[in-house]
Amino acid sequence: MKRPVAPILWMTLLFVGVAFGQTDPGVRGGGAAAGGPLSSVAANIPATILNFFNDGKARFQEVDSVSGTVAGEEGVGLGPRYNSRSCAFCHAQPAVGGTSPATNPQVTDATADGARNTVPSFITSAGPVREARFPFFFDSNGNPNPNDPNGGVEDLFTITGRADAGSCNIDQPSFSIAQQTNDIIFRIPTPTFGAGLIENISDETLLANSQQNANNNLGVTGTFNHNGNDGTISRFGWKAQNKSLTIFAGEAYNVEQGVSNEVFTQERPLPGEDRKSGLTAACKINGTPEDHTNFNTTATGTLSDTIGFAMFMRFLAPPTPSTTTPGGSTSISNGRSLFSAVGCNLCHTPSLTTARSSFTSSLNNATANLFSDMEIHHMGNGLADNVGQGGAGGDQFRSAPLWGLGQRIFFLHDGRTKNVMTAIRSHSSSGSEANSVINNFNNLSSSQQQDILNFLRSL
Amino acid sequence: MRLLFCLIAQLLMVQPVFAQGDFAPPPSKDDPLGIQRLKPLPAGVILIPGAVPSASDTRTSLPETGTIRKNVYDNAYFGITWAFPEQWGEEFKGPPPSDTGQYVLANLVGNRASILVTAQDLFFALTPPSKIALPSYYKMEAEPSDIQIAKAAFSRYSYMSPVAGLHWVVFATEIRCHLVQFVLSSQDTKLLEQVVENLKQIKLSAGADVPRCVADYARPENIVYKSDPVLADTKFNPIPVRIIIGKNGKVRHVHVISAFASQAQTVTDAMMQWRFKPSEAEIETGILFGSSITRRRAPTTSASSISE
Repeated sequence: MKRPVAPILWMTLLFVGVAFGQTDPGVRGGGAAAGGPLSSVAANIPATILNFFNDGKARFQEVDSVSGTVAGEEGVGLGPRYNSRSCAFCHAQPAVGGTSPATNPQVTDATADGARNTVPSFITSAGPVREARFPFFFDSNGNPNPNDPNGGVEDLFTITGRADAGSCNIDQPSFSIAQQTNDIIFRIPTPTFGAGLIENISDETLLANSQQNANNNLGVTGTFNHNGNDGTISRFGWKAQNKSLTIFAGEAYNVEQGVSNEVFTQERPLPGEDRKSGLTAACKINGTPEDHTNFNTTATGTLSDTIGFAMFMRFLAPPTPSTTTPGGSTSISNGRSLFSAVGCNLCHTPSLTTARSSFTSSLNNATANLFSDMEIHHMGNGLADNVGQGGAGGDQFRSAPLWGLGQRIFFLHDGRTKNVMTAIRSHSSSGSEANSVINNFNNLSSSQQQDILNFLRSL
Repeated sequence: MRLLFCLIAQLLMVQPVFAQGDFAPPPSKDDPLGIQRLKPLPAGVILIPGAVPSASDTRTSLPETGTIRKNVYDNAYFGITWAFPEQWGEEFKGPPPSDTGQYVLANLVGNRASILVTAQDLFFALTPPSKIALPSYYKMEAEPSDIQIAKAAFSRYSYMSPVAGLHWVVFATEIRCHLVQFVLSSQDTKLLEQVVENLKQIKLSAGADVPRCVADYARPENIVYKSDPVLADTKFNPIPVRIIIGKNGKVRHVHVISAFASQAQTVTDAMMQWRFKPSEAEIETGILFGSSITRRRAPTTSASSISE
């Protein structure tokens, strides 16, 4: 009888695949496990707070045009430079308030309402929403000058050509040269679920957590970024550069959509333009700030968009993790334990307690299962983006909160991967504080690594 | 004529790519688009380093400047020479020293095992590092015990993670007011024991010729003159600094452990003006500048060698 070699070989390969092929289970299916209000907000405690959440959400979803004169795009103040036209276009996955969706809205943003933008090569339909930054200014020869740090956002698009843009005629930045000279980095939107809990963690709690983790045997240290005005710990953004949700909202409205507001009051030119003569008068179409407190109205109508956005983000509930998906409850539970055993928890602190809140009871002395210490850590040359922000250097990043990771599509600050395993291993490179932790992860068996992946995708 | 027309048309088509935005390389006759003259930034290089170490001179050895050649780790500051097992190597360098004075000196990787060599500056530790408080998810396998290696006193202890099956063996000693640790980790306990035996062959040479390290020496009674650095920035970062004071009371070496470049220069310039009372031996001590408000540190450890 002839020996059936092929089936045995296939079975062996399959077995090996099962035993050693730990894989990212992918975006967790089912309904969005985020996007609703905090429980006390849903219960409308204190009275009318739910109105503020709903109003903020509506503003968050509003589409902006230059002067609010385009039907269905009643938001005022788009441009003259922008990355997208609505908060909710980019903060969309798995629900409003989240992060980069599966289909990148920026492809449509480029030419919406007659705009004549070229879609840069790093923006694709199936790719992540991205903002671009040039780490360094260019010299007179068109070469990046390492002695002249830039790091500001280079908006992808301009309003030029739009029917509501008048005679504003400005160019997009030269992304092709920036790419040819390796002087460009990207950032993707950070999810905002549970942001109110993060905002309400006291500095003392963060410092105590830092102190508690100090004597680890894994070479993990970290430090905090600080607000340049009052010196307290800042916490929002990829480098923890923003102090509060109001500043976070105001900055994003100005930088990403080009809407001047009460926090960032001028129309924003590119960093290079701001060194020269700034924006041309023809591109300053509206009075400033374009978004402002509304007089002669009542309740929610009085708020500016910026405050409305902040209210929405503040009152968003954190994501609800799954206890069974993917991989089953045993694997998830095991993965959670392994996550701490190898040292991931030193930066991705599983939970911290908030301070007393004057807003609503769900923010009051609450447990935030954020999986972050809010510290900035050296992540090495593999992840470095050479952008300094406040006290964060070119390779320092805030420990990204991992809650909601299970339903995210893109990972790391620039969205370079959709694969959690790749994201984990990218934590290791020269200069990274995480090297020893990743060594521990690598020293685990395949099934143990799979448990960690399942745990992460359950969040 | 037709050729010229084509050329102009071509240039017009290409021009927008380079004429946009806030910069444009100037064209030349040979390279009208400026492509050949473009000099890309190097990939994988941290050009904006943030807070990093610096020193007032290059003669004096520093904790962070250990080297690995083949399978030998050398550190002149700590006087360490260690020929680690040949199959091991360092894939990635560690981070710069932290603003709490922690150093990753080497991060060696073997076959499903790793060795981390760290040093914690005892002048700036957030919490006393001598206090071992294992998290609940670890199980102590061997309580700290004293052991002599290369005529130096080490403390050895080991612990494990039941869920991960990972074992850690830690050797700790104190050198120049730093807690130097060798942390061995693997699921393979036999392999760990082999490394332990290898580690016992380490050579330590930081002897009598190094400065005497003294905690909190920069006290009014020891200072003849001082000039406080004026930091103009608003980064609010702690700036730990080690200095070596000559027998004549002059500061002969300043090691800024973690600071932004402008801060480091300001601190170094100020420190070099400080004058202490003359003493019989060179003294090494630490001073914390910058923001200490947001990095509360515990009282200096009670280790014997750092009390005067």
